[in-house]
Amino acid sequence: MSASAINANRRVGGHRSWIRQHAVSLAFLAPAAIWLLFIVVYPTIDTVRLSLFNESATRFLGLTNYKTVFSTDTILTAFRNNVIWVLIFPFFVTTFGLIFAVLTERIRWATAFKTLIVMPIVFSTTASALVWATMLDNSPQIGAVNAAVLTVSDWFNPPGAYPVSTTAGQTVADLVGSNSRAEKNSRIVSISSARAGGMINIGLEDVSPTTLTLLKAQDAVKPQPMSGAITGVVWRAFSPSDPTNKTDILPGELGLPLIRLSLVNSQGSTVATTTTTTSGQYKFSNVGAGSFFVELVSSNFSSGFTGISWLGGSSLTPVSGLGQTAQALLSVPLADMAMIITYLWIWAGFAMVLIGAGLASLNREVLEAARIDGAKEWQVFRRVTVPMLAPVLAVVFVTMIINVLKVFDIVLNMASGSSVNATPTLAVEIYNDGFTGGVHSGVSSAIAVILFLLVLPAMIMNLKRIKGV
Amino acid sequence: MANIVQSTDLTKRRRGLSRRLPTRGPSNIILGIIAIVWLVPTVSLLVISLRPEADFGVSGWWKALLAPSSLTFSNYRVLFDQGFVAGGLLDSLMTSIEITVPATLLVVLFACFAGHSLVFGRWRGRDVVFLIVVGLMVVPVQVALIPVVQFYHELGNLFGLNPYGTIPGVIIFHVAFGLPFGIFLMRNFMSGIPKDLLEAARMEGAGEWKVFYRIVLPLALPALASLAIFQFIWVWNDLLVALVFLGGNAHTPLTVFLYDQNHELQANYWIISTGAIVSVIVPLIVFFSFQRYFVRGVLAGAVK
Amino acid sequence: MASVVLRNLTKQYSGNNAPSLDMLNLEIADGEFVCLVGPSGCGKTTALRMIAGLEDVTSGEIEIGGRIVNDLPSRDRDIALVFQSYALYPHLTVADNMSFGLKLRKVPKAEIEQAVQSAAKILDLVDLLKRKPAQLSGGQRQRVALGRALVRDPAVFLMDEPLSNLDAKLRVQTRAEIAQLHHRLQATMLYVTHDQVEAMTMADRIAVINLGVLEQYGTPRDLYNFPNNQFVAGFIGSPSMNFVSMRINRDVERVHLTGMSADSNIKVTLTDEQSDILRKSDGSDIVVGVRPEHLIEGSIDHAGFSAVAKVEVIEFLGNDEHIHATSDETDLVAILNAHSSVARGDSITLSAPLDTVHFFDPTSGLRLS
Repeated sequence: MSASAINANRRVGGHRSWIRQHAVSLAFLAPAAIWLLFIVVYPTIDTVRLSLFNESATRFLGLTNYKTVFSTDTILTAFRNNVIWVLIFPFFVTTFGLIFAVLTERIRWATAFKTLIVMPIVFSTTASALVWATMLDNSPQIGAVNAAVLTVSDWFNPPGAYPVSTTAGQTVADLVGSNSRAEKNSRIVSISSARAGGMINIGLEDVSPTTLTLLKAQDAVKPQPMSGAITGVVWRAFSPSDPTNKTDILPGELGLPLIRLSLVNSQGSTVATTTTTTSGQYKFSNVGAGSFFVELVSSNFSSGFTGISWLGGSSLTPVSGLGQTAQALLSVPLADMAMIITYLWIWAGFAMVLIGAGLASLNREVLEAARIDGAKEWQVFRRVTVPMLAPVLAVVFVTMIINVLKVFDIVLNMASGSSVNATPTLAVEIYNDGFTGGVHSGVSSAIAVILFLLVLPAMIMNLKRIKGV
Repeated sequence: MANIVQSTDLTKRRRGLSRRLPTRGPSNIILGIIAIVWLVPTVSLLVISLRPEADFGVSGWWKALLAPSSLTFSNYRVLFDQGFVAGGLLDSLMTSIEITVPATLLVVLFACFAGHSLVFGRWRGRDVVFLIVVGLMVVPVQVALIPVVQFYHELGNLFGLNPYGTIPGVIIFHVAFGLPFGIFLMRNFMSGIPKDLLEAARMEGAGEWKVFYRIVLPLALPALASLAIFQFIWVWNDLLVALVFLGGNAHTPLTVFLYDQNHELQANYWIISTGAIVSVIVPLIVFFSFQRYFVRGVLAGAVK
Repeated sequence: MASVVLRNLTKQYSGNNAPSLDMLNLEIADGEFVCLVGPSGCGKTTALRMIAGLEDVTSGEIEIGGRIVNDLPSRDRDIALVFQSYALYPHLTVADNMSFGLKLRKVPKAEIEQAVQSAAKILDLVDLLKRKPAQLSGGQRQRVALGRALVRDPAVFLMDEPLSNLDAKLRVQTRAEIAQLHHRLQATMLYVTHDQVEAMTMADRIAVINLGVLEQYGTPRDLYNFPNNQFVAGFIGSPSMNFVSMRINRDVERVHLTGMSADSNIKVTLTDEQSDILRKSDGSDIVVGVRPEHLIEGSIDHAGFSAVAKVEVIEFLGNDEHIHATSDETDLVAILNAHSSVARGDSITLSAPLDTVHFFDPTSGLRLS
C-alpha cells in the first residue's frame, strides 16, 4: 500500500478520531484556548462590529463613528499626542539604553547601576506618574526640578530686593509714587533733576510690608544736602494716618533699603551707581557739572526665574493665526514632554538590558579589527558597534512604539488642570468616551479599532521575526 | 583540560581589553550623575512619605535630608490604624493581593499546559496556533474592554453570575491578557527540553499527565519563575482594567486607591506618597528576590 | 615593509602568579615569515596581541620598522591582523569590508577601488564583492579576512590561527595560498598557530613558545634536526618523537645505554667518541629520543638504537603505516612502509642509526650533543 493510501485511510477516520488521537494534548491547550477565544479574540472582533453601531449598540450607523473620530477636536488632539509620543519617545529611550549599556561596560559597579536603572520598571506607572508630578511641581517648595532650576538661574539672574511678579499681573508702573515715572525696561526714573549739592527724593507705593520687615527697613529720614554731592531718600510713600499725602515724608514711613540707583546725566548715560541704606538714604559724591536724574534700575524689581510650569497648559510651539483645530494639531504641550521624561525614567532600564545583552554577544574581535583598521573609539562605536547592534536596536524601538501607542496610566495620573485637555492619547480617549458616565460603545470602539490598526504593523513584524527564528 | 586553559585565556583577554579602553574615568562620573538622577524620584517619594503632613509645600523634601530626625512613621501609622475600611490603604493592599495572586497562578498554570501541548503534542496546526498567540501578544487591552463588559453582563443575564464590578471579573480579564506572553515564553523554553526525555518516560509507561508534572514542569521552572514575576508585576500595577471592571466596587486595588486620592479636589499628598510607597514595596521585593529571572523575562520580550 | 624586534617583552596579568609571557626576545627580519607556535595558553596569542596593540605591555619593548610602538594605538602601528574568527564586519559587503580601513584613512576613492580590485583578483573574490559575510562559506570568509589585510598594504601582517576554523582539506589548500602570497608580497608576516605542521610548512623561521617562555627560534630544518630541548623535540614532528629513559652503562668496555629494567629489550650502542664523553660525565640516566620516521624494522649493523618490541596497533595509512609497539612497557611509534609484513602481536626489532638519535638531559630536558 502506498503512503498516500495510508494517509487517505487515516483521513477516512475523520475528525472524531483525530480529536480522540490527540485528546489529551488538546485538553492541555483547552483552558488557555477557551480563555483567549472568549476574552481576547471574540471581543476584538466584536469591537469592530460595535464601532459600526450607535453608542448603545442598538442601531447600525456604518462609518459614522469613524467620521466623528476624525472631526472631534479632543480625539484629533489625542492623535496628535500619540504622534508626539511615537516620534519622540522610542528614539530617546533607545538612545538612552544604548548610552547606558555602552558606558556600563566600562565601570566596576555596573551591576549596581543596572539594578538602579531597571528598578522603575517594577513600579506601577500610576506611582511613577505621581512621583514625577511632584518632582515637576511648579512650586520650588515642592518640585525638586524647579527648585534646582531656580537655584541655578538665581546664580545668573538673581531676583531683586523688590520683585514684581509679572505672572500675577503686576507691573513696575504700579510702584510709581511721588517724583517718579516708570520707563521702558522696568526702570523707574525721578521726574525732577538736580545739580551738585542738590537733593532728589523718590517715593514708591505698593511695596509689601513683609519685604520691608525682611530687609529691616528703618524710618525714612531726609538727608542733609552736601556740596559736590547729590543726596536723597527712597521711601515708601504710604502713611495710614494721611493716605493721600504722597509727596512728603511722614513720620512712620519707612525708607527702602538696598535699592540700586544710577545717576543719569542729561544725555541719558549712567555716570555713577550706589545703593540705599536701611533708612533709604543715598549719596552720589563728587558729582560733576550739569543736571542729573536718579534712576532705580530694573534689577531691583526683577522677580528672577519663577520656575517651569511643566504640567500646566503651556505649549512648546505656540502657533497663532491658524484655525483652532490646526492650532491644536500643531502645538506640542509641555506636559507631553514631562510625561515623556517620566516614561524615559521608567523604560530606559528595559532598553539598557536588551541592548546590553546584544552588546555582550558581539564578537569582540570585530571591534578590534576596526581599531587595527584605523578607527578611533568613536568611529568604532559609530561605524561598527551600532550597525552590529541594529537588530537589537530595532527590537527595542518597535517594542517601545507598541508600548507608547497604548500609553494611558501616565496621562491619566499626571495631567491636571489645563493639561488634561492638552494631553489625552487614544487610549485615554477610549476610556473617556467609553466608560465615563456609563458605557458608550460606538465612538470608543471606533478609536479602539484604529488603535488596533496602528499596532498591526508591529504585530506583523513580530510574526515575521518569530517565524524566522 | 584544554578547555579550562582556553577559557582562562579568554577571561584574561577580556580584562586586558577593558583596561585598554580610554574612557573609564569620565564613564564613572557620567554614570554616577545618571545614577543619582535616577535615584532622586524614589528617594523623594520615600522622604515625603516620612515627613510630617504639615511640612509638605512649606519646604522642599530635600530639606529633610539635612534633618533626618524630623522624619516619622506617623503617616503610615495613621493609615494603618484605619484598618480594613473600604477605600482605605490596608483594604486596597488586600484587594491588590486578592486580584494579583489568582491572576498570576492561573496564567502560569494555563500557560504551562498550553506550552506543553504546543511543544510536545503531535497534532497538526500547532505552529499556526502558536503564531496566533504571538499575534495576540500586542493586542491592546483597550480593544477588548467594551465587549467583555457586555459579555459579563450577558453572563449575568444567562446564569445570574455577573462578574462585572467584582474581583473575579478583573481576574478573568487579566488572565486572558497575560496568557499570550505566558504561552509564548513557556513554548519557547519548553522547546529547548530534549524530546528524548519525554520519550524515555513514555516508554516507561508514564501517561501524559505524569510526563507533564514529573518531567516538563520541573525542567520549566526557570521560565515559570520569569512568567510568574512578570504577570505578578503587571497585574499588581494595572490601573485601567481595575478602573473599568471594578465599576462601583468600594474595594479597589492600590493603583485605583492612588488614582482616586490624586483626583480628589484637595489631593492629600501625604496619603498619596505613603500609599505609593506601600504599592511599590511589594514588586520591589519580588524584583530584588528574583532579579535573575526578571532580567530573563525582559530579554524574552516581557513588555506590555 | 619593516622588521619587528621584541625586547624582553613581558605580560603579567594582575591576579596571576606566573607571567603569561616572560622576557620574549625575537627579531623578525624585513620580509620574513615567522611562526609563533606552541600549545594553547602558552602566550603566543598574547604576544601577537601586544604587537597589534590590543594588549598593554607590562614591560619590554616592541619595535616595528625601527620605531618603538609600545604607546602607539593599533591604528598608528601600520599593521594588519587576520583574526581566528575572521572578525568581518557583518553589516558590510565584502568590498566594504576590505575598503573600511582605507576609507578611514581618507585614501582617494580611485585608489581604494584599485586596491580592492587587485586584492580581490589575487584572492579570487571578484564575484563575491557585493555579498555580505553571512552569505559566504568559511573558506571565502577567510579569504576576505586576508583581503582586508592585503588592501591595507601594511608594514607587518599579523595572523592569529587563521586556518583553525577551516576543514582539513581547505586548511592544506589555504596554507599553500598563504605561503604563495608571502612569496609574492615579500611582506613581513607573523603567524600564530598551535599546529606545528602549519609552522613547518610555511615559516622561514619558527619560534616555539611554552608556558610563556621562548624555547627555540630557528628555521624549520634546525628545529627538526637540532631541537634545543625535549619540549621542542616532542612538539615538532608528527607523530611525536619517541622518548625512552635509559641507564648509562659504564661498567663495560664501551659505554652503552640500556632500558631501565634489568633484562631490557632496548639498547643504544654509541661511537667511541660519545662513549668517552659519557664515561667522564656523571649522572646515571639519560633520555633518548628517536623520531618514528627514523625507525626501521630489523637490526642494523652499526652503532645506533635498537629495541625489541611487541606490535600492539597498526594504523594503515596507504603508503605507509604507523606501528604502535611496546618494549619494556614503553610505547614506541614507528612509521614503516605499508608493504612490510608486520602483524599485530608480532615481536619485531626496531632500529635507528645513531645520527638520527637525540640525547636529552633527564632533569633539564636540554639536548646533549
